[in-house]
Amino acid sequence: METILKVQGLRKFYGKLEALQGIDFEVRRGEIFALIGPNGAGKTTTLRIIATLLSPSAGQVSFLGFDLKKNPEKFREKISYLPEEAGAYRNLKGISYLKFMAKFYARSREEVQTYLESAQAIADLGERINEKIGTYSKGMVRKLLLGRVLMTRPALAILDEPTSGLDVINALEVREIIKKFAAEGLSVLLSSHNMLEIEFLSHRVALINQGQILDTGTPAELKSKYQAANLEEVFRRALQ
Amino acid sequence: MRKFTNLLTKEIKELITLQLVISLLFTVFLFYFIGQMAKSEVKKALRMQKIAVLNLDTSPFSQELIRNLRSGNFEPVLLRVKTKEEAIQQTNSSNMNLLLVIPEGFGQGIEKLELKPVETYTFLRSLSIMANRNAAVFNAVLKLINNYLSNDYLQKQFPELDPNKIKNPIKSRNFVLVKDKMAEGSAEQITGFITSQSLFVPIILMMIIIYSSQMVISAIAMEKQNKTLETLLTVPISRTSIVTAKMMGAAVVGLISAIIYMVGFRYYMAGFMGDVSRAVKASNLSAIIQSLGLALSPNHYLLLGLSLFLAILCGLAMATILGVLAEDYRSAQSLVMPLVFLVLIPYFLSFFSDFRTMSLPAKILVYLIPFSHPFLASQNILLGNYGIVFGGILYMLIFFAVLIFIAARIFSTDKVLTMKLRFRRKKVVL
Repeated sequence: METILKVQGLRKFYGKLEALQGIDFEVRRGEIFALIGPNGAGKTTTLRIIATLLSPSAGQVSFLGFDLKKNPEKFREKISYLPEEAGAYRNLKGISYLKFMAKFYARSREEVQTYLESAQAIADLGERINEKIGTYSKGMVRKLLLGRVLMTRPALAILDEPTSGLDVINALEVREIIKKFAAEGLSVLLSSHNMLEIEFLSHRVALINQGQILDTGTPAELKSKYQAANLEEVFRRALQ
Repeated sequence: MRKFTNLLTKEIKELITLQLVISLLFTVFLFYFIGQMAKSEVKKALRMQKIAVLNLDTSPFSQELIRNLRSGNFEPVLLRVKTKEEAIQQTNSSNMNLLLVIPEGFGQGIEKLELKPVETYTFLRSLSIMANRNAAVFNAVLKLINNYLSNDYLQKQFPELDPNKIKNPIKSRNFVLVKDKMAEGSAEQITGFITSQSLFVPIILMMIIIYSSQMVISAIAMEKQNKTLETLLTVPISRTSIVTAKMMGAAVVGLISAIIYMVGFRYYMAGFMGDVSRAVKASNLSAIIQSLGLALSPNHYLLLGLSLFLAILCGLAMATILGVLAEDYRSAQSLVMPLVFLVLIPYFLSFFSDFRTMSLPAKILVYLIPFSHPFLASQNILLGNYGIVFGGILYMLIFFAVLIFIAARIFSTDKVLTMKLRFRRKKVVL
């Protein structure tokens, strides 16, 4: 499979604190690649750098042949990012928010309409899409945002803790949406500290701790390598 | 441009909330209500007022005095009592505010130059300015009567002489010069009129700057608090466009709000100034102002508008930077304070001091604050000091360019997410 994102020797300093200590991984077309690790491992920092929110202190990130430092705008055109605990404009209606976001990517009115239809199908909010976001539950906001991320069919969707704070039903729905998206040939880079979710969703996984990648592989490969029953055990053994 | 318009529309939609509309309408209503109340109070104060008079004298002088009260807009009500105490009691019970007691032998005293004082009693039923005005007008009437009586006396003693010439041997004509133009009139009257006419400049400026700045700071803080900023920064639009759209959105809404506030303020001021304005129109004051070149021409308004606009832009650029420092909506409210102070300093100085006579350090401080320049501009345009006006405009232009560069730089770097002004230990999300 073709590599669309390549991260090499990525480092990030916050003052004296080295949050990322030279990490390497790659994401292939059509795969769901997950970063798993505890809080403070460097998952969000990595995703924020690739989403062009933070600048790397050192290392290289290339996406579809473009270098992050030289062409951040190319990243923004082809990547969609869902931050952890992201919100939406409470005074806007769901449909207005989607329209507002679609206009940044679409080149014509028809394209805006296509994006809107796609987002509404993903978010599945029914008539509530015409109500103000301020009246939505957390699960509804998350699904709306997921619709926003995926409606433009980005080459890479970056999802930071996509099911964080959601109840079981909503979390299941979100996971199904992500799987379906990848099945259509698009790539997903996600982070989570929910190992079971990762095992269910991901094609490949990178174990990250204290700003370093401990290991990378498919869930099956990792479980076999560490002789573990699940990814939680894999992670514990990798730390040892 | 399409993406920028999309962003600008969103910013404006976000800012125009139902709460804002209600608050604006309520303010206009409040201004109107207070204005109407003030108007009725002014009318009350200006209309003929009743004055109780206890006349214990029977001479023509006291009759003349009572007649003259009418020229001072008073309606004398003669009391049919014998003593002062009774007169005070009756005046009080009939709810009149003023009592004049003319003592026995008042007229005779004037004839013999053995003056017997008249007594005035003012019932202070409220502490408002309008209540105080009664006494002031009353004293002016006494002065007028004094003048009449002394003229009468002098005429009887020196029939061949004009009493006014004896009392005021020095006559004066007052001229005011502005640059190369001269007109006959009182400097006090002219400056008073111009100040009242240009009163709106600092008020508009102060309101727009504070209002729009607060909107920008709050808008950025809300984006941070609601976690929408991160998403916005990853969409394909330049960071400069994001900054500019935020500032323009706030400027548009701030301007609309300020106009609505000013409409309300106009109602309010009209309540106080309505009759004064009519008096000015009736006098030749506007002709004097025209001949001195102190009236603002369309070009002057353009220049003043440019100065105001640049000051607003400087305020918005500063607010954008301050907004990035805000952690959430609540902290944004306190970050408006430095800006408010920067606007208030020149605002109060423009009312209470003369910029030209300030010490050098104070002058430098005032000139460094960009908001001082439109305050100074209105006066300097009228006085033809265009060098200072253009200098101020140039300074604000440079100031704005530097700030917008800094704001765009902040939005282009990690600082937009990591910069925070708080007093707790710095926390980093990894």
